[in-house]
Amino acid sequence: MAEDTILELQNITKIFPGVKALDNVHFDLRRGEIHALMGENGAGKSTFIKVITGVHAAEEGKMILEGKEVHFKGPRDASDAGIAAVYQHPTSYPELSVAENIFIGHEKMKHGLIQWKVMNDEAAELLGRLDADFGPTEEMGALSVAQQQMVEIAKALSTNAKIVILDEPTASLTQNESQKLYRIVRQLRDHGVSVIFISHRFEDMYELASRVTVLRDSQYIGTYDVDKISNADLIKAMVGREISDMYPKPEVKIGDELLRIEGMSRTGFFKDVSLDVHEGEIVGMTGLVGAGRTETMESVCGITKPDEGKVFLQGKELHIHRPADAMKEGIILLPEDRQKQGLILSWGLNRNVTLPIQEELASHGFNDNKKENELSKKYLEEVDTKAVTIFEQASSLSGGNQQKVVVAKALAQSNMKVIIMDEPTKGVDVGAKAEIYGIMGELAKKGYGIIMISSEMPEILGMCDRIYVMCNGRVTGCLDRGEATQEGILTLSMENSAKHEHAETEAHS
Amino acid sequence: MAGKSGRTIQSVQKNSLKSTLLSWEGALAILFIALNIFNSIISPSYTVTNVLREMPKYLCEIFMLFPMAYILILGDIDISVGSIVCLSATMGCFVCNTGLPVGLSFLTCLAVGTLCGLLNGIILTTFTELPAMIVTLGTQIIFRGIAEITLGSGGSVSLKNTAGYNAIAGKVGIVPIVFFLVIIAAVIFTVILAKTTFGRKLYAIGSNRTAAHYAGINVQKCRLIVYTIMGLMAGLCGMFLTSALFGANTTTGQNFEMDVIAMAVFGGIATTGGKGNLIGGIISAFIIVLLRIALGQINLNSQLILVIIGALLIIAVLIPGISSSFKAKQKMKAVE
Repeated sequence: MAEDTILELQNITKIFPGVKALDNVHFDLRRGEIHALMGENGAGKSTFIKVITGVHAAEEGKMILEGKEVHFKGPRDASDAGIAAVYQHPTSYPELSVAENIFIGHEKMKHGLIQWKVMNDEAAELLGRLDADFGPTEEMGALSVAQQQMVEIAKALSTNAKIVILDEPTASLTQNESQKLYRIVRQLRDHGVSVIFISHRFEDMYELASRVTVLRDSQYIGTYDVDKISNADLIKAMVGREISDMYPKPEVKIGDELLRIEGMSRTGFFKDVSLDVHEGEIVGMTGLVGAGRTETMESVCGITKPDEGKVFLQGKELHIHRPADAMKEGIILLPEDRQKQGLILSWGLNRNVTLPIQEELASHGFNDNKKENELSKKYLEEVDTKAVTIFEQASSLSGGNQQKVVVAKALAQSNMKVIIMDEPTKGVDVGAKAEIYGIMGELAKKGYGIIMISSEMPEILGMCDRIYVMCNGRVTGCLDRGEATQEGILTLSMENSAKHEHAETEAHS
Repeated sequence: MAGKSGRTIQSVQKNSLKSTLLSWEGALAILFIALNIFNSIISPSYTVTNVLREMPKYLCEIFMLFPMAYILILGDIDISVGSIVCLSATMGCFVCNTGLPVGLSFLTCLAVGTLCGLLNGIILTTFTELPAMIVTLGTQIIFRGIAEITLGSGGSVSLKNTAGYNAIAGKVGIVPIVFFLVIIAAVIFTVILAKTTFGRKLYAIGSNRTAAHYAGINVQKCRLIVYTIMGLMAGLCGMFLTSALFGANTTTGQNFEMDVIAMAVFGGIATTGGKGNLIGGIISAFIIVLLRIALGQINLNSQLILVIIGALLIIAVLIPGISSSFKAKQKMKAVE
């Protein structure tokens, strides 16, 4: 064991009912190191983290913390030993104040009473160290996800954690917020804290980590120095095969106009948005989280009511009041949150696919199960869903495969013309991402008009014919494939907000 | 673009006898048979004729089980139904006592019930953020309040002319008419729930309301329809209850909502929505009814019967949890 190793795990095996979640996994963490943990969804990263934090006890293997073997009986033991975890979705108490959240479980007490002043002061000091733009008395629920994460990190600091684990912290952050997080993480490292960083974004890993450990199919693949392994090799390690073309954008002849939106506004969400999509075209909608992209598309599809604006399909004006109207005309939104909005997780894949069209297939109101099963089998196979039977519960599939089921659901509607995909690869691992891009390409070839809402620059640049950029509820620009660059998009997605902030500071002074 | 990997997905479902018997409905069916044997041992008067004679007043409640199952599957609840029964029975009796044709009295029961259900539905679908439990608690108090005002100081009303109501309390051979009606309603409601697009929508809404909305289902319309049917069936219950009791009073239909919810939950319908079916609900309804009749026959005091049924209900909700954790343990062993 190297001298500077703070934590070492040997031969960790964890069994869940029916599956081996971890199979003989090794890991070592050095003092003051940022160590990335990567792997596809279901590779065992989260389980591994839970073993370290004492949530799960491993069936086999040893865990050595600062030279001594430890056995955690619960999360409390781990946090007492100086291990803190910040999860993807902060597990906070939205009704309590920031300071209360930071000190929850180890409140500053004197004679059985909470020392509010001491607690608020210390919280303010911790937040100051993190360069936070909010105070300790603010209500947790009023903060953004990025700010809540900061509170979680402050909480980790308040326990004097030696090891901080960050589980996909950048998943719901904007570019700017991510940058800020990087700074904080580096600052932690400089203070001698060791950081384990889980992420799907290669960007995160290159920015931060010095070493990376890869898990695949519950097994340990290897630990590499970040500057010594090529991106292709790393993907191969994660996926188990080479991905020759991440963005298989086919050359498609752009056809007639399908969808056109004119001057659509909804107070407080978006203003005067106009855009159009043609047959065979993949149109990107990007911008910072909260720029109004999703909200615009929800209004187009009748999920929310816009204040004004017109929607045309093939030149004909539509009047859409609810999602069913949009689907009848051939416009469908595949929502960002597959689990909450896109799928009925407790249902079989077959019924999920045919839910919107069950009435067309039915005779006299009676479900035609045979037709439904045939159709769902056809479309689930068409998008290459990894499933054994069509009766499998949607919850049993990985994120990428769930996304495929959602796409199959859109394809099963024979009249579909425009498919709007909201963050189609969010939470999807590298291998499945490439497959989803492949499907998008195929759909474009077939003449569908596709709108992809995404915050991920590489996929926007890699897949789209045209890119609309939104900022503060307005479309700030539309770039052609040829002229679009990362910098160009970033400028457009922030120019207004910069102006806005500027205007605000002027107003204050 | 048929799957790049050429992977095929199976679309044939295996339905073995073993899995049918191991399902909750299978277990209930076995329990139903066992209960009948048990009943005939403890009570010498537990014969087909006797049971059928005592059944009508319990059968009325089963009318409400069907729409209540729909409501629970939607992930909603309606605790105002007992009061709807009371109000519609009261109104029916008053109309009958004015000397109008008995048909109008029947119609009054059904119309009052339907209106009450519609009111629940309109409130819940207009203010979608309100919890159904609280709204129907409010209407529960309102409906019974209106009934009590109508009943006046005496607190009860008796039918002056029972001829019309006697007709629907009649029998075909030894089987009461209401029994046939319950069976017919059972078949209709079961088929709609299990086989039609409407039934599928109810499950979709109860399993994931947001996803159902995104999939183009008119969630509020479905809720409005179901709450209105609930009212109609409560009115029907009130009508037949009147025919069994020849009147109504301030306690008519009291706690019926809880009886009906208990039947549904015992039948495997989850109050969280999206789970269960009416076959389970109907078997469990008859289990509870027959148990009550048998325990009544041996003169067990009625409070004790309530204790027994309450205990059964808790055991029934516990069993699925216990059996799933048992299955998980089995799986665990299989891996090791």
